[in-house]
This record gives sequence, structure tokens and C-alpha cells, in this order.
Amino acid sequence: MAEDFEPKIVVFACNWCTYTGADLAGTSRQEYPPNVRVIRLMCSGRADPVFLIKALVNGADGVFVGGCHPGDCHYTKGNYYARRRINALQKILEQFGLAERTRLQWLSASEGPQFAQAMTKMTEDIKKLGPNPLKEALV
Amino acid sequence: MKGVQLGEEALDNLFKSLLAEGIVDVLIIPQKIGENVAYTMVSDPEKLKSPAIFTPIFTVNAANVLKHMPAEKKIGVVFKPCETKAAIELVKLEQFEKDSVLMITVGCPGTYKLEDYNKHADEIGDKLDDSKIEQLKAAGCEIRPACKICEDKLLETGDVLIDRTDGNILVAAISEMGEEALTVIGEIELTDIDTSALESKRSAIIESAKPFREEWKTASEELRDLDKFLEVFKDCIVCKNCRDMCPVCYCKTCFFEQPLGKPEGVDLLNIVGLRGSIKVPSDSLLFQLTRMYHDCFTCVHCGACADACPKEIPLTNIFPWISEKVKELFEYKSGRDVEETLPLLTYQEDELQPRE
Ligand code: SF4
Ligand code: SF4
Ligand code: FES
Repeated sequence: MAEDFEPKIVVFACNWCTYTGADLAGTSRQEYPPNVRVIRLMCSGRADPVFLIKALVNGADGVFVGGCHPGDCHYTKGNYYARRRINALQKILEQFGLAERTRLQWLSASEGPQFAQAMTKMTEDIKKLGPNPLKEALV
Repeated sequence: MKGVQLGEEALDNLFKSLLAEGIVDVLIIPQKIGENVAYTMVSDPEKLKSPAIFTPIFTVNAANVLKHMPAEKKIGVVFKPCETKAAIELVKLEQFEKDSVLMITVGCPGTYKLEDYNKHADEIGDKLDDSKIEQLKAAGCEIRPACKICEDKLLETGDVLIDRTDGNILVAAISEMGEEALTVIGEIELTDIDTSALESKRSAIIESAKPFREEWKTASEELRDLDKFLEVFKDCIVCKNCRDMCPVCYCKTCFFEQPLGKPEGVDLLNIVGLRGSIKVPSDSLLFQLTRMYHDCFTCVHCGACADACPKEIPLTNIFPWISEKVKELFEYKSGRDVEETLPLLTYQEDELQPRE
């Protein structure tokens, strides 16, 4: 079972950096696992923790938020706020063993290979964790 | 610190004077109504007949009333510490202007759940001393879980602090606004007071909460497991009483009253189609986790949510606990100072993870 387990990972990517980085990964033919579903946001600061909670409750095996490196946010400080929010959320999820299924990472528009690596790493790590138990739970 | 010792009658007169002298337009204060004690809002000093500020009963967190309060009237509140704490968080959440509310905090010996108080009203009476707490415990009547673990029973927060020790009542000004309010009242003369007795009472409170906090920690940590968590919330009927009674859950239209948070009809059918099966009522987990996130900084550990839950879910082991964990991360404490910034409204460049 664990062998065949193909996790579903939801990626919230900032338009100005991570999303463009994902684009670059595509156009430069970087390979990364097909497990990720990318959703574009205008800024990592738009990643309302409720999005992450909803994805997890609905059975996503992992949720990834990608934003601009500190100092590079298009809106100056959206990523700093995002970092506070996601850290608070992770503290809550930690209580229920769900924090490891979430990740926040900074990936710029020029980091196509890094984006591919991040997706590969996330997929591997979630595979090790196994499927999100909430997928089978009645919620 | 400046203050004055008052008798009970003089204290009642003080509240009347606040209204009569126009220091406040409306006073929110618990009063005895027949056999019951309930919060009242009073504008006419003549209608302030039977203040019952020491009665150890928890009905609602009265700070709830201050949500969406306009600034036109000056309001006075006579609150327990957890209620003043909630009021302070509501100021930070821009629910009202601090200047428009005079906050009087009454030191609290711990309170009984409404149902328990009603059952034992005669034995409990309108004041509570430590010896009585033990006696009542032997009779199977215990103070609320949130009160057992509370370290803030004599918290110096708000504008005026009222403490009752061995029958002596101290009224002390703890802010400029508080001092002004007390000075306007003719019969009161403030003098410098020795605060060492208050300090040692405060240390004793923290000390006696310790064993209960240990129990609370163990009970809460037992929930650090998804299965147990699901088990605890399996009975949740998503009535949202916990949200409605929470003093710091303040949104005018909650996410869970909007289509995304409260799917109905076709939306609900679509979700069933997607998942294969869902529980009814649906989304208790989404609701609980979201509320945890929304209140994790501002929770004042009052336990109003636990009291309100018709399914007796031990919410005191959940919301305040999780909030404490999150607050530790940000070195934040709720309900202290209106000048303190809410953690989500600020940031530092070098903090938390990831850094680069
Ligand atoms: S979550 Fe519960 S304990 Fe915390 S402030 Fe709200 S009602 Fe009080
Ligand atoms: S009050 Fe209790 S039953 Fe109602 S929504 Fe809250 S936890 Fe669920
Ligand atoms: S614009 Fe990319 S994180 Fe704000």
C-alpha cells in the first residue's frame, strides 16, 4: 500500500515568485512529481490558513505554500505576515499530528530547479508519512 | 498605587455615583434578580438596586456585550478578570475605543457554572472564601475547570481593581482614567496603598493553580493525537454555541455562516459526491480548527465555550490549551495592555522559519 501511495499535494504559489518559478521549471523541462496541484495566489500573504485547513480536512495529503524570499515580496511584507500565520497554524496542527503535512518555503521566480526540488522533496516526505488519515475519516 | 478601603454600602454607592455623576452613561454590572444573579446594563442610578459583584457565578463572559460598541456613550464595566482581559482584546480588535470604556476589574475567587450555582445557591451565597471552596468540593460542587487553572484571579488589568480579602474591600486605581473616575466621586479619598498584600495574594493564587494546571496539561496533551481529537469532537453538533459565547470571536458575519463555510443544498451534494461520504452535520472539524486559528492569540481562557457546549465537550482542555501553545511561540499574553500589538498585525524580519 505504502509503495503505491501517490500523495495529493496542494501548492499555494505566489504569482510573483513561486508560481513563476514553477513556470520556469516547466519551460526548462525540469522534472518533478505529478502529485502537486498548483493554485496561484497574488502573494503568500493571501494564503489564509483556512485554505490549508480546508485542504487537509478534505483529504489533501500535504499542503505547500510558496512565497518570495524575505525582502523580495512584491507587496513588501506579505510574506512576513504569511510566516507568522503559517507558524501559528502549524503550532495548532502540531497538536493533532498534522503539522508535518504543511510546509512554507521561499522560492523565487528564477528558482525553477529549486521549485522542482522542493516538489520532489515534499512528495517524498509525504510519501513517508503515508496518506492523510482524514481522507478516510468521516468529517 | 492609590486606593481606598470601602464598606459594602459605600461600594454600592460608588457604582451609583459613577452613573449619577455622569462618569459613565451606562454601567454593565452583575445584580441579584430574585434568586438569580445576572449581568445587567444600567443607565438610571435608581435602577441599580442590588449589585452582586462578588457572587461566584459564571453566566456569560460579559465582554460579549462590548462587541461592535459605538463610541458615543461612555460605558463602565464591572468585570471579572477574564472579562476585562477579553475587553482589552476587543479594543485591539477595534470593536470599541478604550477611552469610551471604564474597566473595573473585580478580583475573582473562582466561579461556579450556572447550573452548579443554582443547585447550591444557599451554600455558596454571594461571596466565596477559600474554606468554602473546600467544603463545597466535599459536597460534590466544584469550581469551573477554567477557574481552577486561572492564574489571573487578581490581575491588574483595566482601570480600577477591586479586591476583597477577609471581608475587607479595597478599591484601587490602576490607570489614569481609573484615578480620575474615583476622584470625581465626592466621598472617596484616595491614598497611597501598600501593595505587598496584593502581591502575596497574587503569588498564592499562582501557587494554588499549579496542581490544576498540571492536570490540565496532562488532559490536554492526551489529545495530541488525531484519533483522540476526532473522538472528542465526534459529538459536536456544530451548534456554534462555543463561537457565539466566546468573547473574542467577533466577526459580524462568521465564515461559517457564509456559503463556503456552511454548504447547503447543491453545494452539500457536490461535497458528498466528491468525498463519497460525509458526516452530518458536516464540517465540525473544519469549524473547530478554524476557530482555533481565529482565537489562538486572543483567547482569554475564560471557559465560556466549555460552559456553552450542550454536548459537554471539554473545550477548556482544547481552546485555551492550544492558544497557550501559540502564544508561547510569539511571547504574547492576551488581555494585559491595549497598547500591545496583536501578533498577526506585526512581524519581525528575523524570526521564525523559514528565514531564507
Ligand atoms: S475560546 Fe473559549 S476559553 Fe477562549 S476566550 Fe473563547 S470562550 Fe473563552
Ligand atoms: S458548543 Fe459544543 S456542540 Fe456546539 S459547536 Fe461548539 S463544540 Fe460543537
Ligand atoms: S508577492 Fe510573493 S510573497 Fe508577497
